[in-house]
Amino acid sequence: MKAKKTQTADSKPQTANINTATPMTWCPGCYNFQILAGVKNYFSSELKKGKSKEDFAICSGIGCQGKIFDYINLNGLNTLHGRELPTSLGIKMGNPNLDVYAFIGDGGCFNEGVSHLVHAARENVDITCIVHNNQVFALTVGQPTGLTEQGFVDKTTPEGVTVKPFNPLKLVLSANATFVARVFADVKQVEWVLNEAKKHKGFKFIEIIQPCIIFHPDVGYKDYVHEIPKSHDVTDFYKAMKLIDDWDYNGIKKGDKINTGIFYKVKRETILDKHWQLKGLVKDKKQWKDRK
Amino acid sequence: MKYNILFGGKAGQGANILTHLLAESLVEEGYYVFYYRDYQSLIRGGHGFNVLTFSDKPVHSHDSKVDVIVALDKNTVDKHQKNLKKGGVLIEGKDANMYFAGRMFKALGLPLKLLDKRLKKMKRYGENIKDVQRGYEYQSTVNSQQSMVLNIPKVQKAKRTFSSGSVGVAEGAVKSGIDNYFAYPMTPATAVLGELAQRQKEYGHLVLELENEIAVANAGAGSAITGAKTMVGTSGGGFCLMTEALSMCGISKIPLVFYLAQRAGPASGVATYNAQADLHMARHAGHGEFPRLVLAPGDPVEAQEITSQIFYLTQKFGVPGILISDKHLAESYYTTEHKPVITKVGHLTKFGRYTSYEQDPTTGSGTEDADVIIANVNERKKRWDALRAECEKFEGYKIYGKKNSKNCIVFWGSPKGAILDAIKGMDVCAIQILYVEPFPKKVGTILKKKDKIVAVENNATGQLCDVIREHTGMLIKDKILRYDARPFLCDELVKKFGRIFK
Ligand SMILES: Cc1ncc(C[n+]2csc(CCOP(=O)(O)OP(=O)(O)O)c2C)c(N)n1
Ligand code: SF4
Repeated sequence: MKAKKTQTADSKPQTANINTATPMTWCPGCYNFQILAGVKNYFSSELKKGKSKEDFAICSGIGCQGKIFDYINLNGLNTLHGRELPTSLGIKMGNPNLDVYAFIGDGGCFNEGVSHLVHAARENVDITCIVHNNQVFALTVGQPTGLTEQGFVDKTTPEGVTVKPFNPLKLVLSANATFVARVFADVKQVEWVLNEAKKHKGFKFIEIIQPCIIFHPDVGYKDYVHEIPKSHDVTDFYKAMKLIDDWDYNGIKKGDKINTGIFYKVKRETILDKHWQLKGLVKDKKQWKDRK
Repeated sequence: MKYNILFGGKAGQGANILTHLLAESLVEEGYYVFYYRDYQSLIRGGHGFNVLTFSDKPVHSHDSKVDVIVALDKNTVDKHQKNLKKGGVLIEGKDANMYFAGRMFKALGLPLKLLDKRLKKMKRYGENIKDVQRGYEYQSTVNSQQSMVLNIPKVQKAKRTFSSGSVGVAEGAVKSGIDNYFAYPMTPATAVLGELAQRQKEYGHLVLELENEIAVANAGAGSAITGAKTMVGTSGGGFCLMTEALSMCGISKIPLVFYLAQRAGPASGVATYNAQADLHMARHAGHGEFPRLVLAPGDPVEAQEITSQIFYLTQKFGVPGILISDKHLAESYYTTEHKPVITKVGHLTKFGRYTSYEQDPTTGSGTEDADVIIANVNERKKRWDALRAECEKFEGYKIYGKKNSKNCIVFWGSPKGAILDAIKGMDVCAIQILYVEPFPKKVGTILKKKDKIVAVENNATGQLCDVIREHTGMLIKDKILRYDARPFLCDELVKKFGRIFK
């Protein structure tokens, strides 16, 4: 099924060709709008620089964040809850010349699909993984995920969450990810981090702190955000761990630092480098169907 | 003339390679050979055996009574002596597997050069050939009685293929131009993973093992939407994990091929043994209503043909397809004469906007609009009808034996071998169903003309009978069902059929 080109009355010239006519159904003021704007700016500028829509693929899952697929007119698959990473891997294996972006919720990435994350990082699959972290299953009306703070109360957990969240970035780093970054859900930061990720080859993990204004108490994240100092050595695993450790996701306490920027970035062979079949397709800029 | 030779021993003693070398050599000499593998889910020790059957006429199954037992350990004698025919030969001793290969080559009067050239391609040639010679010489000295039994008539040499159902699926896939195969190991599907992995150099496709079957199926869907021809493989337990993705393929028109190799279940069941109990699962897996294919080959040639057909049909109609096999077909080796007819297909799938939600075709986005939902469902139903019509062009069923007989056997999948061998000379026809979904229209008309119908299935409930009832309204009461996790044997079926079709 081929996507039909859609035109909307309100499309700004800059982003016209990646808008869809689908009405947006996020809550007014949801930080996902910030993320969408940043992502669209990024794609639009890529298109302006000469890339074509056919160079990209997007993949999202199920949840508030997953709707981003409906709002960006690029090819891809709005896949099942938690399966964004294997689906994206499949898209990449299906056409290694595509630049693939996976948008995932914290529930999808760290609950339903956590096994995939570990392996995508380990295999250094050449995709950009963008997690919208609102520390809650939002679309199912606010149940706790593995990243929700202890004591969080909702209709399904009247006694409060009994255990602490785990630190997702520590997990990703431990799984040998080669690019680990965090930004706040802000147009500029999102655009910036995507441009940084673009320069890296391999599995690019980006966490976006995306407060859910409906189902998660505003703990004032913004006031705790600190930019990672320029002096940070992004190839130093232990320093990266330390910066990540400045916040444990378990609510916000005095002295917590939600560091943003690039924690870690190292070069390693990617899944494309490891399979001659894929290397060949990339080298010749070919698709499977073009091979003899 | 037909002989059955049983090779038994502990896992790790090398009964498999012994069986395979002898089988290949017999095929090269012009005999028809079939062998069955019976092994436990363990790596060293335990008890495993193979039954090799060979004949001057086509043979596709083995018997319960054997002419020769080659026992690599004492346990084999204890376990199988009761199956040795009167006057049968027991070859035993504490020795290496290649020593027994030497003895068997002498006993069967096979030229040693057939063995020698194969051993040269393997490791430890020096040691092996010494063992072979020792065995060969020893056999020359033992009493003539042992060789008399095996004084087999010479036959004309002929070029034939010797392969398993797994080889058939792999060959069918590469001939269909497969691009990506994803899997997670699970017996008895793993053999296809190996066969396809070994063919990467020659054909250029990619084989990847992923973290679990959920990843496998979703990666399969991702790959398939880009236009790459993609297959995933597993057995029942893994297939259960794939069903949500199967359903996604159903709603989003994703042409993904699922290779489902059944083993005895439920759950972990009997890992290395056989059953045909997952037909209903294949037909109904995945939530919601959507068109699909469930195709069931019964031998390695059909495995090739059906694999190519399923690639063709899934590409053409944007549907998921399930290629259902089982342990017996996947791991037994068959001599085949006919060249498979391969159905070719190009890369028909175009990359675009796909979604696991009901889709608004104007935007490619998800929708909750009632009219669009109705239109989509109707489109699926229309495609389903078109798929049914196209499937009628293929051999969805086959008839063997006396076509006009009033007696009839119905079956699907691997029992084919034993049934075809057993019905020789009987007043009966055997109808094989290869297309389970969509079900061939004509089968009902044919069955209605029969007086006596017996279903033969490797399950406890007669799942094919349910399918036939669903499509034709006919209730098949007579069933030969086997559910001890073992396949049907020729001599046992001969007795059973004999009682039913006098
Ligand atoms: C297999 C499966 N289980 C459960 C659901 C129900 N479900 C829909 S959205 C969602 C939670 C999404 O949470 P998250 O990934 O954090 O995204 P958010 O809505 O917070 O953006 C769940 C559990 C589903 N769609 N599929
Ligand atoms: S529930 Fe939360 S995450 Fe979902 S749209 Fe509303 S604010 Fe955004």
